[in-house]
Amino acid sequence: MKRFLEKLAEGALLLSGSITSITILLIVLFLFKEASGLFRSPVIEEGYVIALNKANTVKSLSSYEIKEIFDGEISNWAELGGKDEAIEVVRLSDLTNYYTEEELGAEFENIPAKASELTASHPGIVLFLPKQYLAKKFDGITLDKETIHPGDFFGGKEWYPTASPSAQFGLLPLLLGTLWVSLGAILLSLPFGIAVAVYLAEIATMRVRNILKPIIELLAGIPSVVYGFFGLVVLVPFLQKIFQLPVGETALAGSVVLAIMALPTIITVAEDAMRTTPRAMKEASLALGATHWQTIYKVIIPYSKSGITSAAVLGIGRAIGETMAVLMVTGNAAVIPHTLLEPVRTIPATIAAELGEAASGSAHYQALFALGCILFLITMVLSISVEFISKKQK
Amino acid sequence: MTPLDKTSKIDKRKRRSQFIAFTLFKLMSYSVVAMLILILGFITTKGIGVINWEFLTTAPQEGMTKGGIYPAIIGTLVLVLGSSLFSFPIGIMSGIYMNEYATNSKLAAFIRVMTNNLSGVPSVVFGLFGMALFVNTMGFGDSILAGSLTLGLLSLPLVIRTTEESLKAIDFSFREGSLALGATKLQTIRKVILPMAFPNIITGLILSIGRVSGETAPILFTVAAYFLPKLPHSIFDQVMALPYHLYVISTSGTDIEASRGIAYGTALVLIAIVLIVNLLANFLRTFFSKRVKMN
Amino acid sequence: MLTVEAKNVDFYYSDFHALKNISLEVEKNKVVAFIGPSGCGKSTFLRILNRMNDLIDGTRMTGSVLIEGEDIYAPNVRVDELRKKVGMVFQKPNPFPKTIFENIAYGLRVNGIKDNSFIEQRVEESLKSAALWDEVKDKLKKSAFALSGGQQQRLCIARALAISPKVVLMDEPASALDPISTAKIEELIYELKKDYTIIIVTHNMQQASRVSDKTAYFYLGELIEYDDTTKIFTNPQKESTQNYITGRFG
Ligand SMILES: Nc1ncnc2c1ncn2[C@@H]1O[C@H](COP(=O)(O)OP(=O)(O)OP(=O)(O)O)[C@@H](O)[C@H]1O
Ligand SMILES: [Mg+2]
Repeated sequence: MKRFLEKLAEGALLLSGSITSITILLIVLFLFKEASGLFRSPVIEEGYVIALNKANTVKSLSSYEIKEIFDGEISNWAELGGKDEAIEVVRLSDLTNYYTEEELGAEFENIPAKASELTASHPGIVLFLPKQYLAKKFDGITLDKETIHPGDFFGGKEWYPTASPSAQFGLLPLLLGTLWVSLGAILLSLPFGIAVAVYLAEIATMRVRNILKPIIELLAGIPSVVYGFFGLVVLVPFLQKIFQLPVGETALAGSVVLAIMALPTIITVAEDAMRTTPRAMKEASLALGATHWQTIYKVIIPYSKSGITSAAVLGIGRAIGETMAVLMVTGNAAVIPHTLLEPVRTIPATIAAELGEAASGSAHYQALFALGCILFLITMVLSISVEFISKKQK
Repeated sequence: MTPLDKTSKIDKRKRRSQFIAFTLFKLMSYSVVAMLILILGFITTKGIGVINWEFLTTAPQEGMTKGGIYPAIIGTLVLVLGSSLFSFPIGIMSGIYMNEYATNSKLAAFIRVMTNNLSGVPSVVFGLFGMALFVNTMGFGDSILAGSLTLGLLSLPLVIRTTEESLKAIDFSFREGSLALGATKLQTIRKVILPMAFPNIITGLILSIGRVSGETAPILFTVAAYFLPKLPHSIFDQVMALPYHLYVISTSGTDIEASRGIAYGTALVLIAIVLIVNLLANFLRTFFSKRVKMN
Repeated sequence: MLTVEAKNVDFYYSDFHALKNISLEVEKNKVVAFIGPSGCGKSTFLRILNRMNDLIDGTRMTGSVLIEGEDIYAPNVRVDELRKKVGMVFQKPNPFPKTIFENIAYGLRVNGIKDNSFIEQRVEESLKSAALWDEVKDKLKKSAFALSGGQQQRLCIARALAISPKVVLMDEPASALDPISTAKIEELIYELKKDYTIIIVTHNMQQASRVSDKTAYFYLGELIEYDDTTKIFTNPQKESTQNYITGRFG
């Protein structure tokens, strides 16, 4: 009986032990399942269809091309590899330009027939029509089976989920926004982080250290919304004023807030690494007439460089995944950023801002999960490289 | 005369560069402290006037520009409690398994890597995952249950690591001593090892509570309610929560300017929770370590 | 001329009184051995001579130490200059994780020497004085960790010699080594005597009697006896010394 209980307990412990692995597995499963749906979603708004003239040699349109056509950026089929023919964009409401209201019928009962006729007679037409108005024997090519391509997502330069007729789910502006903000953050916080780590590990007296350590712990404990709020009410107006900007919500504001938030991680990890430098190594350097500072930068920092690298990588990971603070201070404009003084939008901020509006199962919803996958993959790569770096150190 | 005989000028130079470097590092370190003081000071001075008994015990009124934050406080407490009910037992058991049973095996190494990876997963990904699994697939809907489970998963790595480290700190001889008396492994852990590790574990758990109470992204889509003046009745109800409330009233409330006072007050309450949690953890740490010394 | 002159040195680790009223003089170009049971304060005293104990929090010293006539604990003394004059070799070989060449060049570089031909010359000279040149001359760019323990220790000696110290302190330099490496180090000490004043801590009685001119016997933080090595080993004045060298305790 006792033996049995013992075995039972061990089993329960093993089960709890594997919970983190199971969780990771489930995260992968759920995120990727939802995200993969994106590439099965139609390019065109649900319930609509795009029709072309039968003779048109262009047989498929990507989501970006559709958007460019409807925005008037592409006006000739030749630009899409077709015949030299002007593109004629026709929406449902435009039908009245071609037919009188009587022709369309009082109950619009003639729309299907007329739409078919119009498509057949205009070689350059692009017709955007609700599916219900599609004639049984439609005379033209309909593009309703087109799905979003991986290229539209991974290579897409625009994020515009509510665009009509074709929503844009381009990863690039968000990815670049994320990297931009995180890079700024790490450039700001790494020098400070290492300086504080050196100060704590080597220079400060025990008493000063005992005061500074809890302060850094506290800095790590403050919730990200509070940092975001502080950034919003203090930093954003401040930046707006000193740089004379139209809006203060910029990538720079995000970087500064993230830099503060990444500091405790960087300081703690780097300090621990420096403390592992063997005493003998330090004494050997000092015994040769090196000053303490020479010993620090010639012996201690090189010795702990993989630890410092881990600190930097962990800091970057923290910055890339941070959501609320960034959401509150970066202005959230989904455009590819050119300077740190423009509003940007990061991947986590996009998820947080839009998931509430996206209908469950819609392409938008799936695109947000795809963003989650990207985020998950990036942080996974970072975690694994930290693992790798610290293993190499041993 | 070799170059070695004329190094005194250089000695001066290298001492000067040491002075400059050390002064710079000291200044940078103190500027980090100054920043913390600035943040805490700013929010305290702006928020302290808002906080009173009524603020803490009444619901928001007039589009959240007046009234208090009582439902948000209760919501955060409920979520902390709920997530702890999930993460503490499982996390502690997992830590025990890692340190006492799975030492040195490949499996343990794998689990450790996974735990580290999980602790690196961004909180918003937990939010997505919680929504997909708990809210949609399991059908809990936006609820305390879904939110607590999501937050619980998020805090697991922290709980596991604290437990593992606390157990590791206990000398192996105590285990041998107990086993030599004929106790089984489980008895040894329960009667000898866990009580000894308890102070450190508790400290870690309290710190994890601090972390959970401030998280926003994981609860956005799993439980948090924009405005819900009544208190929850079951684990399938939604609740308001302090961090989400602060986010909402400072970015998208009905009248952002008019809610500023409430926002400062809410931020101050959040900071106070973190301060109290940190102080409590530090106090317990010293309290228990003194008691261990006395024994 | 006296190279080292310690007067009434007392030393404390916080409350622990580790050295009690030590006075001792070392003449130029002599080898002095410190012997005594474990924990008697040999290393502590050795580390007083290049102020290595400054690194340990909560230590306190009274009395005075002169090196080449200068009080090394005077307030205007620069420790880095002092340590250039007083080199040290540690119990365990502690090369830097750098190449053999860079290990030796380290002391020169941190002292601001940039002249590469001079550095190369010093590296060769020091490796030769440490009797290591022939073994490593083809692999100066290899990591110092690729050397054997005995070679590493001679590398550390060469490293200390490269900046031309006046005094070399050695704390049990051969205790972590095999007999052959130990013999090499002992030979080396004999050679180095011509140019340097050497103080060596050792637990090995034969070693002390083989390499040193004078021997100091420490016991419980006190200097019990200090005299010519032959005298200490043949005719010690104190019973405690007699007991220790005959191996009756310690
Ligand atoms: N950093 C320290 N803090 C406190 N006490 C110390 C410290 N270093 C040494 N001591 C104590 O001072 C005394 C002398 O130590 P020291 O290292 O000088 O002895 P030793 O003669 O070199 O011994 P061994 O032969 O074992 O190397 C010992 O009792 C030791 O415990
Ligand atoms: Mg010693």
